[in-house]
Amino acid sequence: MNVMGIIFANDANMGGLSDKRTMGSIPFGGRYRQIDFHLSNMAAAGIRHVGIISRQNYQSLINHIGSGEEWGLELEEGGMEFLTPYAMSASHSYRGKLETLYNAMSFLDYGPEDEYVIMADSAILCNIDLTRVLSSHIDSGKDITVVTKTGIANGEKQLDLAIKLDDCGEIADLAVDYVAPAEYLASMDLFVLSKSLLKKLVKECIARNLFHMDRDLVLGSWQRGDISIHVYQFAGLAMFNENIEEYFRNSLSLLDRTTRHDLFYYNHPVYTRVRDRVPSYYGENSRVGNCIVADGCVLNGSVDASVLFRQVTVNEGCKIENCLILNDTVVGENCQLKYVILDKDVVVRPNTKLIGTPTNPIIIKRGEIV
Amino acid sequence: MHFQKKRCIAMLLAGGQGSRLKVLTEKTAKPAVPFGGKYRIIDFPLSNCVNSGIDTVGILTQYQPLELNEYIGNGQPWGLNKTHSCAQVLPPYERHDKKSGWYKGTANAIYQNIDFIERFSPDYVVILSGDHIYKMDYNAMVEFHEKNGASCTIAVRDVPLSEASRFGILNTNPDNTIYEFEEKPAKPKSTNASMGIYVFNWEVLREALIADEADPDSSNDFGKNIIPKLLHAGHKMMAYTFDGYWKDVGTIDSLWEANMELLGKEPEFNIRGDERFKIYARNNALPSSYIDAQAKISNSFIAEGSEVYGTVYHSVISTGCIVGQGAVVEDSVVMPGVMIESGAIVRHAILGENSKVCQNAVVGGVFKPNDKKNISVTSKGSVVEANTVLLPGEMR
Repeated sequence: MNVMGIIFANDANMGGLSDKRTMGSIPFGGRYRQIDFHLSNMAAAGIRHVGIISRQNYQSLINHIGSGEEWGLELEEGGMEFLTPYAMSASHSYRGKLETLYNAMSFLDYGPEDEYVIMADSAILCNIDLTRVLSSHIDSGKDITVVTKTGIANGEKQLDLAIKLDDCGEIADLAVDYVAPAEYLASMDLFVLSKSLLKKLVKECIARNLFHMDRDLVLGSWQRGDISIHVYQFAGLAMFNENIEEYFRNSLSLLDRTTRHDLFYYNHPVYTRVRDRVPSYYGENSRVGNCIVADGCVLNGSVDASVLFRQVTVNEGCKIENCLILNDTVVGENCQLKYVILDKDVVVRPNTKLIGTPTNPIIIKRGEIV
Repeated sequence: MHFQKKRCIAMLLAGGQGSRLKVLTEKTAKPAVPFGGKYRIIDFPLSNCVNSGIDTVGILTQYQPLELNEYIGNGQPWGLNKTHSCAQVLPPYERHDKKSGWYKGTANAIYQNIDFIERFSPDYVVILSGDHIYKMDYNAMVEFHEKNGASCTIAVRDVPLSEASRFGILNTNPDNTIYEFEEKPAKPKSTNASMGIYVFNWEVLREALIADEADPDSSNDFGKNIIPKLLHAGHKMMAYTFDGYWKDVGTIDSLWEANMELLGKEPEFNIRGDERFKIYARNNALPSSYIDAQAKISNSFIAEGSEVYGTVYHSVISTGCIVGQGAVVEDSVVMPGVMIESGAIVRHAILGENSKVCQNAVVGGVFKPNDKKNISVTSKGSVVEANTVLLPGEMR
């Protein structure tokens, strides 16, 4: 495919989970990181050059992705590039996506045969056939394609970019950072455009001290009549994990079979870093029901409606409900946990009781002992 | 091309048919038979190599190699695809002088690949077989070999006297030097059974292989020919005692038992949680497993990509399996990709890869604790139709 990929793995607004992580390295679904979904989308579409843009806290991301081998991106020069601020001669950290792209210009020159660029954001998870998005973009003859999803706008959630279509399917309204009513489409922060146009628009914006992708590059250029926009409506599942409440709710929504299949099997498998854990072991007195369980766990207590990541230990007498327990965490005997997120490497001492709420789960930070 | 000199390389004999595994090896070489939920038998010797610092492994294949070759690939899951490491599959091949063709025996298989070994000019060659389940540090054995200045060192384990006549038995002096080797003796003099793991000085082995090949009466086998000949020629040969878990999974019963021995609070063979000695395997891109609200699971392994809606007791459920609503699986080994439909009952069984047990079918049976368990087996891709029965010990 004559297209290259850029994935934004930006600062995350995920409470204690994002102290040392980018949006891309937030763990999800038992054995994944959020960036795995777009990396797999791009790998499955045959994209050979992927740039990952990150501003800070990217150690966990680099550790996770390594050479890109799991996604088949290790072969070529520029196959997998980390585009971080001081790695590219910027004298300050980034203010917006356009500044990051401006600094990533040299990456765009890899793969001279790549005519198009697909840009994605790791806060939004989906299993999408990008070859269809690209051909739809080319067929439309428009300058930029925005991939959108219905049903996200609800009059409460603030959308990065909201789009309203008229009866003929033409754009009636574009709005940025807007709490849109339900009839608006939500941008999935997934764009297709030609490489040359992207370079031109980024340079034009930066020259005028404009750095906001949605506001300046998309909305601004559209309002001036500089670009035409094609709206692609994605029929599959799109998960917006933009804050801890959405993340918690979406994590637990994987307990639903259709949701799980739409995310993991809709178009292609989802690849992630292999960790070579043993299968999970369920002890003599374990009572595990309605749970997602990754590999390497040792489970002895009672666990209901929860997601257990790799190598989690749940000891005898525990009663765990509606929790996310991240990798390598140990829950001691007779603990009672409800609506709790335990980050990785947490130790919960025996007989501990922690009760959160669905909209405000208790978060225990990485490595803490409670 | 330049090949780095190696102190030690391994040659893994993976060409055997494994006919005693019956339907399970109809289309698959024994080393590629699934084990322990997400592994294949060959993962154990391969991971042992990696964990012992041996980064060059020749894998000799012959019987039904397609799946095995595919599984090993470029050796990436074991880290054997780097600049100075390799997992090289070595099938039989045709040579200009016609001194080749199918591997006639274990020694002949190595003989035909002398050129491969010579590329690395190794001091030592470890000979392994691809049909045992164990964790072992081969490097400790090589060091023992080196320290004793032996020509050949053979790993041994103590077996019950009643079983000794099934093995190659090594009779040793108090200093562990071997003075006699008896292949499956009717009246064993000791209980030191050979594990089929050998360390040789490469120079000694190379000469022995060439001499053995020239002997028209030889069956070109390590146990029957090479070892007795070296002993006869007066080479110093040592027995290296290994007392960890080790299981020959060459039969249906032993394969089932070895899987069961992974289970329990303190299993006989503990593969859980040993970060320093991991077993590596090729991974499928499957999501985490899903355990339904109605599921009941006890004393079992469930691997990734599986969905459990029914009851699983004392069993190993491998990657990508489905246990349907109301289905019961007990004391069984369920290999990757198996579908057990609702209401089916599976007891004391090994279900081959991608096989299917349809609604309300019954596979296997229940046995008294001390009775012999007759294990029922389904072959790869086979189907047990709805409402039918596969009797205890029956195979399909």
